[in-house]
Order: sequence, then C-alpha cells, then structure tokens
Amino acid sequence: MAATREQPEVKSAIDERVIVACQHGDRDALRVLFEEYKDRVYSIALYSLSGNEAAAADVTQQVFLKLISRISQFRGDAEFATWLYRLVVNTCWDERRKEKRLVPFEEFGSMRNSRREASQATQYAQQELSEHVQAAIAELSPKLRLPILLKYIEGFSYEEIAAVLGCSKGTVASRLNRGHKSLARRLEWLRGQAVIEE
Amino acid sequence: MFTAHVTRKFSAFLHQELSPEENRRIAEHLIGCSRCRVEFEEVKFGMRLAEQVPITSAPQSLWSEIDAALSKQSTTYVVAHPRWRPQTAFAIAASIIVLGLAGALLIRSISNTQTSWAVARLQGTPRIGSIAIGEAGKLRVGQWLETDAGSRAQINVGTIGQVEVDPNTRVRLLETKPTEHRLELARGRMSARVWAPPKLFFVNTPSGIAEDLGCAYTLEVDDDGNSILHVTSGWVSLQLTNRESAVPAGAACATRRGIGPGTPYFEDASEAFRSALANVDFSGDGPARISALKVIISEARSRDAMTLWYLLSRVSEPERVRVYDRLAELVPPPEAVTREGVLSLNEQMLGLWKEQLAFAPGTNSQKLKLGKKF
Repeated sequence: MAATREQPEVKSAIDERVIVACQHGDRDALRVLFEEYKDRVYSIALYSLSGNEAAAADVTQQVFLKLISRISQFRGDAEFATWLYRLVVNTCWDERRKEKRLVPFEEFGSMRNSRREASQATQYAQQELSEHVQAAIAELSPKLRLPILLKYIEGFSYEEIAAVLGCSKGTVASRLNRGHKSLARRLEWLRGQAVIEE
Repeated sequence: MFTAHVTRKFSAFLHQELSPEENRRIAEHLIGCSRCRVEFEEVKFGMRLAEQVPITSAPQSLWSEIDAALSKQSTTYVVAHPRWRPQTAFAIAASIIVLGLAGALLIRSISNTQTSWAVARLQGTPRIGSIAIGEAGKLRVGQWLETDAGSRAQINVGTIGQVEVDPNTRVRLLETKPTEHRLELARGRMSARVWAPPKLFFVNTPSGIAEDLGCAYTLEVDDDGNSILHVTSGWVSLQLTNRESAVPAGAACATRRGIGPGTPYFEDASEAFRSALANVDFSGDGPARISALKVIISEARSRDAMTLWYLLSRVSEPERVRVYDRLAELVPPPEAVTREGVLSLNEQMLGLWKEQLAFAPGTNSQKLKLGKKF
C-alpha cells in the first residue's frame, strides 16, 4: 500500500451525469466516483483512526455504500465533494465512537518502520519526514486534525471545510492555526532539515 | 499597532483567505512586532510540515468488497431501472471522458492562477521564454522573463508585492506557494516592494540569496554574477551558506560570486569608507587590506557602528581589537558586555551589543528611529 507524495492541487471535477447515474443506482457510476475519491477518503480515514489500516478500509467501504444509498438526497445545492466529505467525517466519528478501534501510537510507529525498510534510498528522507508528519497528525485532537486533513489532502478552501464540519470560517481558521502550531511544536526537532526548507 | 496582536490569523493569511486590507494590516504588524513574528514562523513551519502529509493508496481489494456488498444488498441497482441502462452506458463513458478533460482544464486553470504571476509590460517588448508578452502575460514556475535594452516589465508577486524589472534583465520564477515565493535574478536590475510578512519572498542571485524581511529594495546583478543591494524601506537579509548580512533601509550591501555577501553599510558613508570596505570584504589579505581597515576605522561615524559590528566577526583577531576599540568609542557596549567576551566572539554579548546599536532586524520602530541618529 504505497504512500504517494503527490498532493492534490485541485478538487475533483465530477460530471453531473455521473452523480445522476449514481442517483439512479448505477454501479458503474459509483465506480467512477470510487476511483476518483478512494485514495483521499481512505487517507482521511487512516489519519483519523490513528493509522489503523483495517478500520480505514472499513470506513472507506462504508462511505461508498452509504453514498449509493443516500445519494438520492443530494440535491446539488452544495458541492458534491463537500457533501461526500461530510459523509466521510461522520463515518469516521461513528467508527471512533462505535468500535473504539484506536491503535496505540506505538503501533502506528511500527507500521511505519515496516514500510521504511521497503523505501528507496533516494526517497528515504522524504519518506521519513512524511511518516513523522503522519504520526504527529494522528496525535492531534480530531477538532484540529480534520481541518488539516481536509485542507492538505482534499485542497478545500476554508469555506468548504466549514461546510463539511458545520462550523464557521473563523472557527476553521482558528483550528488550522492551532493545528499548524501544534505540528510545529511536536516536530520542532525537524526544523532546519533541508527536505522541509527546500 | 502593538496592542492588537494578529497571531490567530496567520494560517488564513498564509492561505490567502483574508481580504487585502487584513493582509496588509497583518504584514505591517509583523514588521514591528517581534512576538508575533516568532509565532508567525512557528505557524509557517507547521504549514510546511502539513504540506508533507501523503495521500495513501486505498487497498486494491476495496472495490471488489464494495461490489460484493452491493450485490448482497440488492441483485442489482440497474435492474430496478432497466429503461435507463443504455443511456447510462453512454453517460458513463461520456462522463469519464468529460471528467478527464474537466480535470485537465481545471488543473490548467489552477496552474494559471496559482503557479504563475501576472506580468505587465511597462515599456518595449519584454519576453517570457521566446514570446513577447504584449500588454500582459503570465510567468509560470520555471519560466524566464527577459527584457532588452528598451523594455521594462512589472510582475505581481502573487498577492504580496510587486517587482519592477529594468532593461537588460533576466529573471525566472522558481517557486510560488503560501509559504514561499522565489525568483532568480540571473542578471540586470529589479526593484521589489513586498507587503508580506518577513521571509516569504526570496530572490536567488549567483552570489547570494536576498530574503525579504518586510521591505522595498533594488537588487542588481552584473555579468560576473556579483550583486549590489540597496534597501529603501524595511530590511533585507543577504545570505550565502554561513555568511549573512541583514541590511536596513538606507543601507546597501555588495555580494561577490564565490564569497557571498559583504558587510552592510549606510549609503551616506564617505566614499573612502565604502571603497575601503569593499577592499576588506573582497580583496583578501595583504597590505592593501591593512590600510583599508585603517581608513574604515578613521572614517567611521556613529551611524557606521552597524558596519563595525559586522566586521567584528569577519576580521582577524588582531584586527578585531582595533575594530572593537573604535566601536566602543562610538557606541559604548552595555554593562553585561565585556571586551574579552566580544574579542572571543561570545554570541550572547555580540547580540546584546547589537541590540544596543538598534539595527537588529525586528527592532521595534522606536529603536529604528534611534538608529537614524547614527
């Protein structure tokens, strides 16, 4: 399960006809949506569930099953992506509450170590940095973590994050600020490393 | 200005989520408030870290599991809408194509707006790559903007400032993102006005990197890659490897290829002083250097204390004694600073004396005014 470095520069451009097809129950259309969003939905679930891959896969599966059953409720008065990520966030919350499947941080660390062995020497520093960042994000409180994930994985604006989380833009700004500071303090020892400064 | 701290808005500022007025207010506040600058650096570092979060690929088996789950729930959704099926096949095929095209167009549109800067022609025929820009153009990451002897151009640095490119100049956009905007000036002259907080706008030259500390300045690079910086407001830091000079408004600093930045000096220093300084900075050891240092010491005014302070750590031990004596004569060191400490380049003591001299970047406006007495 390779971790990719590419960050999303744009939000998905899903054609309205795909959504309409999904609303009519078309599985091929659901496949289109799945292929478009699966990695980002899985990533948000993974970081929201402390790196528990099985739980993240379950959540991703639940999200797309809920999507096909609830998409008839999507009226198009909101961005589809915003609507979808509300589903993702709520499913993650439900998962945390219901299963309490949080993996201790140390376990997240051991997963990281197993991946590290497989990494290319040339990508080692970048990979290691990403792993430290993943672990630090996993340690943030959900209130601080979700805005960070929606900003950096999905590339949402503050307004879109606010729509997903059901709060004001000001709250998003404040939580992102606190999240950034918290990451900086947790990973202060990485300051000055070329891979960040570049 | 110093009562309304702006720390809670730093992320929104860096993500360009604020109004131009708020952007300007924050940038101005940051220039004068060292406490907010520390927090700003922390938030910026946190953003750089967050940018590293990777997207992890979902397990390959996930779709087949969803497909199986859907089959269990219902024989097939499509059977419930048989009349719709042929249309669907066409719609999905078309959608996949449209999706790809829309994505490509969107990426292209984003790259136009977020990874490029607007360029306006001021005079003549500036070129981006090999194409003349007409009245306006877009400078994308990696592209060169070039002016000939009769042309000038203006670049909008995202939302944080403007750069005027003079004739016979070659600049390239290296990076533009919330935490860093970077140009390369290969040759020629540019003037920058930046209203962003410190350390967001950088200009690479062959002999050093100019780092904006909230300022306006002119930077000129000659055909040998040497440069000269003139600061008209705020501060600019010049760096190359371990050598760094922070240059305040009214001061200038030269750089040399292979050496880096020289010692900053106020532009109203005497011609003899400036010429001797160039000698000490770039001409190596020898009798000429010894006599140049004598000129610097004899010509130095109180206002040139900044230059002497920098020289303390750039001259040999015997030379340092003479620089120390002259500097102490012009601006006596604080009580906690001893002669022995300075001569052994004790960093803490050098820092304390620098504060006394009131030219450290981030010194508040009161101290900067004092600095003008020099």
